[in-house]
Formats: sequence, C-alpha cells, structure tokens
Amino acid sequence: MTTAIRSEFLKFFTTRLWWGMAIGIFVAGGLFAGFFGWALTSGAAQSSPGAPEGDATQVANTVYTSGMGVGYLLLLTIGVLMIGAEYRHKTITSTFLATPNRLTAMLAKVVALLGIGGLYGLISIVSSVGVGAVVLNLTGRDPFPSGEVFRTMALSLLVLGLWGLIGLGVGILIKNQVAALLVGIGVAWIVEPLAGVLLGFWDFGAEHIVKFLPTQATNAVVNSVTQGPSVARLEWWVAALVLAGYAAVLAGFGIWRTLHEDVS
Amino acid sequence: MTSTTGARIEISGLTKRFGGFVAVDDLTFTVEPGRITGFLGPNGAGKTTTLRMLLDLVHPTSGSTRIDGVRYAEIERPFMVVGAALEATNFHPGRTGRDHLRVLATANGIPTARVDELLELTGIPAAARKRAGEYSLGMRQRLGLAAALLGDPKVLILDEPANGLDPEGIRWLRGFLRHLSDEGKTILVSSHMLQEVQQTADDIVIINNGKLIRSGTLAELSGGRGTVVRSSDLDSLAGALRIADVESAPGPDDTLIAETTDLRLVGDVALRAGLPIWELKAKQADLEELFFSLTEGTNRNLGDATYPDSAAPTERDALAGQEGANL
Repeated sequence: MTTAIRSEFLKFFTTRLWWGMAIGIFVAGGLFAGFFGWALTSGAAQSSPGAPEGDATQVANTVYTSGMGVGYLLLLTIGVLMIGAEYRHKTITSTFLATPNRLTAMLAKVVALLGIGGLYGLISIVSSVGVGAVVLNLTGRDPFPSGEVFRTMALSLLVLGLWGLIGLGVGILIKNQVAALLVGIGVAWIVEPLAGVLLGFWDFGAEHIVKFLPTQATNAVVNSVTQGPSVARLEWWVAALVLAGYAAVLAGFGIWRTLHEDVS
Repeated sequence: MTSTTGARIEISGLTKRFGGFVAVDDLTFTVEPGRITGFLGPNGAGKTTTLRMLLDLVHPTSGSTRIDGVRYAEIERPFMVVGAALEATNFHPGRTGRDHLRVLATANGIPTARVDELLELTGIPAAARKRAGEYSLGMRQRLGLAAALLGDPKVLILDEPANGLDPEGIRWLRGFLRHLSDEGKTILVSSHMLQEVQQTADDIVIINNGKLIRSGTLAELSGGRGTVVRSSDLDSLAGALRIADVESAPGPDDTLIAETTDLRLVGDVALRAGLPIWELKAKQADLEELFFSLTEGTNRNLGDATYPDSAAPTERDALAGQEGANL
C-alpha cells in the first residue's frame, strides 16, 4: 500500500501539470484575497444593496479561503486527470500490472488526492493569508478575530481533497477525459449555481435542498460571508459530512467499477 | 528442461466472450522455464486477450491461468516474479521514460539505481530523459522491455516485442532473449511474424480464432526431419536408398526427401550407385508453410461465414506497430 501511494505521488509530480496548477492556485489565492479583503471592508462596496455580509470572523474566513473558488475546480480537474490520463494514455495497464490488487491501486489514488488537496490548500492559504492579513490590517480590522479562522483554514485543506475525490469518481464514470472535465466543471461551476438560484425561488427548495448542494456545502464548511442572514446554511461539520458523502459516493462507486472491468 | 528456479505458466480451459464474440475459446497450454515459447497467430487470433487474462487485466469468462502456481493478482510484488511488456503505447506523453520507469519501480519497492541500470542495458539512457511524447516506436519497445525487466523476474511475457525495431534491434533482442532463457527464465513471446519466432523460439503455441491449433517444440511441429537431395536420376537414387534401408519420397521442385538425418549415408549410397548429386542438405523446419496451411482461409476477421453475427474489431496494420486493436 505505501509503495503504491508513493508511486501515485511520483506519478503526479513527474508531469508539468502540478506546478502549473500550483502557480494558478497561488496567484488566485493572493488576487482574490486582496479583492475580497477590499470589497468586504470598504464602505463604498458595503453600502450597495444585496452586498455580502458577515461578522469579522466570516470576513476573515472568506478572505483567507478566497483561493478556494478556483482551488476546488483545480482539484476537481486533478481528480479527473488522475484517472482520465491513465485511461487516455493506457497507462492504467502499467498501473494495474505494478499493483494488481486494484483496490490497493485505487485507494493509493484516494490517499494521494487527499494529500495533494492538502498541499494545494496550504499553497492557497499561504498566499491568501499573506495578502489578506495585510489588507485587513490596512483597513483597520483584526486579521485574526477568532480561533475559528484557524479551524476554517484546516478544513479548507480537507475540502480540496474531497473535491479531488469527486473528480476521481467523475473521471472513472466518464471514461473520456475531456468529456469528464467538461461535465465535472460544467456541473460544479455553472449547473449547480444555476440550480441553486432556481431552487431558491421555491421556498421548500431554498430551505431544504439548496444548502445540500456541493458548492453550498463547501461555503458552509469554511463559513464564509452570506448573501444575507435569511440564507439557509448547514453547520460547518454537517456540511463537511455532506461533502464527504458526495466524495465517498462518487469515488466509491467509481472504484467499485474499476475492480470489475476489463483493462484492454 | 525444467529448472528448479524457473516458474511454469499454466493456462487451462481459458475462454473469453465479449458479448456474442468468442475471443478466446477453451485454450489450454503450458510454458516451460528455461525455454523461449513463441505464441503465434494471425492478427485478431486472441493472443493479446490471452496475455491480458494471464496478467489479470481481463477477467476470463471461464478457465484459469497460473504463473508459478498462483494467479498474477495474488503475487505480492509482481515485478519480482513476472515482467510483461504489452502494447508499445503505454506512456504518458508528458512524462519522461525514466520517470515512467521510476513510477513503476516505486510501486514494487525497486530502487531508482535499477532503473538507470536497465536504461543502460536497453541502450536508451540519454533518450529516456526526454518526454515520452517524442519517442519512436523502437524506443517505446525498448522502454517497455526495460519496464518488464525491472524486478529481474523469473517469467517474461512480451507482446509483439519486435514490432518497430530495426534489423539491428531485432538481432539484439533475439540474443538478449536467448541469454535470459539460458539463465532459466520462462519466456513467452507473442508474434504474428513467423520467421522471427522460427529463429528465436524453442517451443511454439499456435492459435487462431481463439482456439489452440498446435503446440509443441519447434522440431515436433515442423514434422519429421529428413534429408533433401537432388540428383539427375531420382528413381534410381530412391531404389539405391531402399536397399540401404532408407525410405524416401519425392519432394517439391524435383527433390527427393530421404527419411534420415545422416547426410553422409545418403552421399555414400549415391556414390556406390554411381549417381551424381548436386544438392544434399538437412531438411529445415519450415514453420511458415505449416502456419499458413493451418490458418489459411479461416481468419474470422476476413468475414468468415461461420461468424455471421459477430463483428470482429477492426485490425490496424501490424506493421504500424499496433496489434492492440484485437480486443
């Protein structure tokens, strides 16, 4: 098992994908932290109607996890590629020859994705906190208003790993890598937010369904600012469990499929 | 013939159906240690599917495969027992060949030093530091072979290893395989190229349409050995040989085939009978003739009426290096 995990990490760090993604998440983390740090604290932005609101902790949470908006899509992509590239370039044959116990081979991918999620989360936090704390300080706010901020940062690492697992599941279930990426990102970035808005017009939907959607759960885990106090939101730990549920179902079903299929 | 350190490959009653298409049909044969076994068949015969079942990549419909008494998937660190090189396309184009080998080696706890050793051995140490997307087919074959040898395995399974190699490379490969088999390794080499197998293999397994056609040693399969002789009067020579207790029969192209391997005896008989001879040689095993006679006209991929409902997968040109189209 440990050798299979080391092999998966080596696989990830021996193509150009990883540092491209690392640069992306580092830059995005810094830029968004700067932007949110200014937007959520400046008077001009706050006076407009419908502006996001939240207490000092929520503002700090939002600023420090602002790389997440890009980060979870990147991890989704990495998750899809981790298996999609193997199908596409037929390296899955070598992978299963080296580790013929397929459950071991796939669990190694799961562990690697959680690790990679943690790593990218750290990169994102380093740049977000670096920029964000300075901006909050400049605007006269307490950059670390409560201990919850640190809990949020730790959870953001987990959240990214879970999105990686969601990607892994999508990548297995949709064999064509390009199609898997389009569907995965399309659903997470466009379909789901749209569904959230549409369901929001329906009272029952707004109260009992929208908060269980994956991106809504993601926001709840890191307890960022909301579009108003009336918005229904899960407790952070319930949201974390919901997101873990999505990851477990998608990755679990995908892995179960790989145990039985012919590799040709 | 059987070495104590070697591992035998046993395939028994192996069958694989893809829907209504029977790719491999009740196949049974064994591969012995210390020998090179050629696994022969035309494209689409089911060779690759058989090898993939042997390596637990494809699940058989029925039947079993054993390597050294166990299934491939039951081996803890499989590279230490079995090395396999399947299609020549299994590389991520953005990863260097060396890194590809390191990924595989790591999964079996094999140190990087061994990777560099094998790149040296297969003659590609510098090229392997480039990204695999730029590799030629011959380069991919060598890299695949290097991957198969990572764990210094007892059993070597190679799918069309000579594809894409230049004549020099093929000669190198032949010598290399002979060297490995002399060490007592079990070597199974699939091929659709007859001459290649004829010059390399000790044992032959021929399949067609997923069924075993013949298996045995090269000598057995080539039929009885004999002596080919040419003379101006074949009838008199045959009579003279009969007196010396040697049976003979007319062969192709005005030759006589004597049922003996003793060339001197045939020469002496001819001299005593006063018959001039201008050719006298041992009869060679001609697998090609055998192969074509066994498989001619029965390839299901050419639209045989026996399989009206089954659409066989399209074949790609084997010379282009891809036998992989066959399932």
